[in-house]
Amino acid sequence: MAQQQPPIQSQQTSEPLLNVQRMQFWLEKVVCWGQAGSPDIQKDICLHLRRLQGFLQQLVSHINNMSSTTEAMKSLPFLGQFLGRLCWNPYVTADDTSRRLLFQCMWGLYSEHPSNAVERKANQWIQKVLCQLATEEDNAAVQELMKRMGVSPEEYHLKVLRKMVTLLQENIGKSCSSLSNINQRCSCESILATSEACVPLVTCPEAAPLIGALLQRPATCVRAALSEDFLDALSSAYLSQGASLEEQAVVSLWYHSLSSLEGAVLSLLESLLTNTGSTPLEIKQHVAKSLLPKACAQHCSIFLVTSDIFRSILKQAEGNKSIKFLIQTFTSCFLRELALLQPQEHVSLKAFFPQSPQSLLVPLLTLPSEMPQEAWRHHLNWISSSVQRLTEEEEEGDRDSGGSTRGHHKVYEAWFLLVQCGYWVQVTAQLLVTSGPEDFGPLLWLLTFYHHPTRRLHHRALQLVHAKEAWNHLHCLFLVLAGPLPVDRLQSLLTLMSPQPQQPLSPLLILKLLVNFAVFSQQQLSRSTKILQTPRWWISLVWLVKQRVFSTHWSSD
Amino acid sequence: MEAMLKNVTSTVELLAVAAQSGAVEQWDKQTLSRAFDWARYCEHVFSKFHNVPTVRRIMETQLQLTNQGLQAALPGYTEISFSDLSRCQHLLLVGLLNNPELPSKIMEILFDITSNGNSKNCEYPDVTGLCSRIIQYKSARQVLSPLADLSAVGADAAVQGVMLMERLGALLSQGSEVCQIEHFLDSVLLGCEEAAQHFCLVIAAALLTPKNSTASHDFLLDWLQKKDSMLQHMYSALPTRLLKDVAKEHLKFRDAYCDVLKKWASEMEYSINDRVWVQPSSTTTVSFQKLTEHFLSLFEACPSLKEDVEKELSALKTSDGDFDVRGLSVWGDLLTALKK
Repeated sequence: MAQQQPPIQSQQTSEPLLNVQRMQFWLEKVVCWGQAGSPDIQKDICLHLRRLQGFLQQLVSHINNMSSTTEAMKSLPFLGQFLGRLCWNPYVTADDTSRRLLFQCMWGLYSEHPSNAVERKANQWIQKVLCQLATEEDNAAVQELMKRMGVSPEEYHLKVLRKMVTLLQENIGKSCSSLSNINQRCSCESILATSEACVPLVTCPEAAPLIGALLQRPATCVRAALSEDFLDALSSAYLSQGASLEEQAVVSLWYHSLSSLEGAVLSLLESLLTNTGSTPLEIKQHVAKSLLPKACAQHCSIFLVTSDIFRSILKQAEGNKSIKFLIQTFTSCFLRELALLQPQEHVSLKAFFPQSPQSLLVPLLTLPSEMPQEAWRHHLNWISSSVQRLTEEEEEGDRDSGGSTRGHHKVYEAWFLLVQCGYWVQVTAQLLVTSGPEDFGPLLWLLTFYHHPTRRLHHRALQLVHAKEAWNHLHCLFLVLAGPLPVDRLQSLLTLMSPQPQQPLSPLLILKLLVNFAVFSQQQLSRSTKILQTPRWWISLVWLVKQRVFSTHWSSD
Repeated sequence: MEAMLKNVTSTVELLAVAAQSGAVEQWDKQTLSRAFDWARYCEHVFSKFHNVPTVRRIMETQLQLTNQGLQAALPGYTEISFSDLSRCQHLLLVGLLNNPELPSKIMEILFDITSNGNSKNCEYPDVTGLCSRIIQYKSARQVLSPLADLSAVGADAAVQGVMLMERLGALLSQGSEVCQIEHFLDSVLLGCEEAAQHFCLVIAAALLTPKNSTASHDFLLDWLQKKDSMLQHMYSALPTRLLKDVAKEHLKFRDAYCDVLKKWASEMEYSINDRVWVQPSSTTTVSFQKLTEHFLSLFEACPSLKEDVEKELSALKTSDGDFDVRGLSVWGDLLTALKK
């Protein structure tokens, strides 16, 4: 947004140049606004508020670039008139940003050492206007009353403002379904007008209860719509942390305004992906604090939108481990919030995951902690065979009808669900350590599938062969409890991991297995450490880190 | 006591300096904050002692001396009385902003001009952006006021009513004399002729505040009974809906209301040309229709009153000759209109 860029850059953006014509345009607008406050004028002001802020920002830089007030006034005639009129427009002075920019403009025209009569007059005028704004009362009776009761203006205005907010809040609370006589006109039309009026008040903490009430009123009446300008202003204020809203109000905001929801999801992703040093616990806390999981649990539509955003991000960066971990963390936070909901608010899981294979939903969405450890292997075997069946159906479908996309779609959704429930993949890797040669098959298949969701049949077969090899090597390395390290095993493993262009198997997979073996095997700590300290691992690791940045693309061959 | 006097005197001198002398150029953020702290101290002193005659007298004497001294030293100095101390902070602000020699850095602090809008943690939050906040509240009020004209009383009158009740309650609990409190009410509510209507609203709002202590309400009602013109004005100017609400809450008010309505009816004369009952020259002209409306809403508020009043009206009609012809007895016509 223009007002956040430094002054020099604003000339290079697509904002039109500051010149006399634009000044004229805005001056005419402001004169028009100064006339009697009809609802149309109010709407016009709210519509133009953001652009006005951009223009004021340009003015601030322009004035500050001028060497003196005289020069500034010469360059833009009517500048004083324009600013003066804006000062008396309550919509402009109520909004934090516009007020600040306006005062900065006025202050830019103040000369510390006035050099001529014009500048002296300007100084006097500026001080007078600011003084009037802050201390004068428009109503003489009220002024007298305050004086005799010994009330300060700040206290008085604050109390009246609060009272108005309370009155309006109560009015909104009366939804039209509570009216006994259906012929009575509901007051819902005033909701649109009230939301319009709140456009300049999104950053005013006193108005927060009213804004919360507007967002959370039950949407039963057709006439009770919220103004788009209001939703836009509110979401940008919230994203830049200018608005202080209660949790439920934020959830309602996301529910009403798609753009604010998207903004929130993207800003969460951005903050997590740029903070590469966070621990998993920190990431979990960050995600939970963002209120998005809670919002998703309360409104199915919010979860569906969020899932779609994750899906499209994942499509562009398939191998990216951080994104996968983020999706996994998000889903577990979401499931936790879902469990906390009241029983009467429960929506079936199917509604939240409409595209996922239904048979896999409950098995994957059950957390490992909700199941006895002995059951894990059997559970994962079942999941693995289900997904295998799906992929086989896809391959068949491909052969029969020359690449039907429906089969692809199902497999992709199964894979996406697996990513969301990534905790089961972690369990898979862990169980592979304690597996014997007869029961590692399905688990290894699942792990390979996680890292390589779509490869053609022969590719997958090759991947499985390599994976089995890797597993074998690791198994031998970590199972031999005494004697010298089987260096040839180490060597073969490193070969499997080395960066070859046609490498079918993801080194991340092997690395994951390696780490799990190191942690969960019965091997002595010193020996495990020795294995891990092999210098060539670190070269591979560095390469892996680099690879994370340039991840492989989704391809169908 | 001595210390307090000294502090108040110094603060008054401070106010004078802030308003007129060039010494403000030396002020920085800390000085500014301290100045407002002292002003707040004076307000506190006022609220504690304004009803203690002995202390008040001493203070007033001292202030007189200070005023004289300052008048001699600074031309154009406006005196500060003891009651002005209740708004000391405001006076300080007004003085500062009107001082032609006010340094720009003070303005910057008061209007929070240099910040980027992220001044959440600053050292002196009470003075930083003080004026900016005041302007924000005022503007927000203006933005919301076209929408908030929902209650019959309006937000302004409602808040003023509450404040009035608070002050009244404080005065009563401090055991002030009756005439003093009456004097207070006179000065607040009868001060401004043009704003009589507004003050009617304020009184109505005050009477509608939740009844924590009936003493304040009773006192106000008693005071109101003595102010005939104000009472008349209330009944004629305020909407019947509002009067109904107040009558519902307060018996005294209801009875007085009823009496006034009867009085108005008795003053009416039948105009043959227009074929309606009118009130001859009087300050508050009420039409016959309006009178009927008043009665009806009163009955709505207090159904028990209905029977009694109808009986009374019947008796009056009988005493007028008990005719059923229109235009002969205001009571008869009134009864007919009410029974419709």
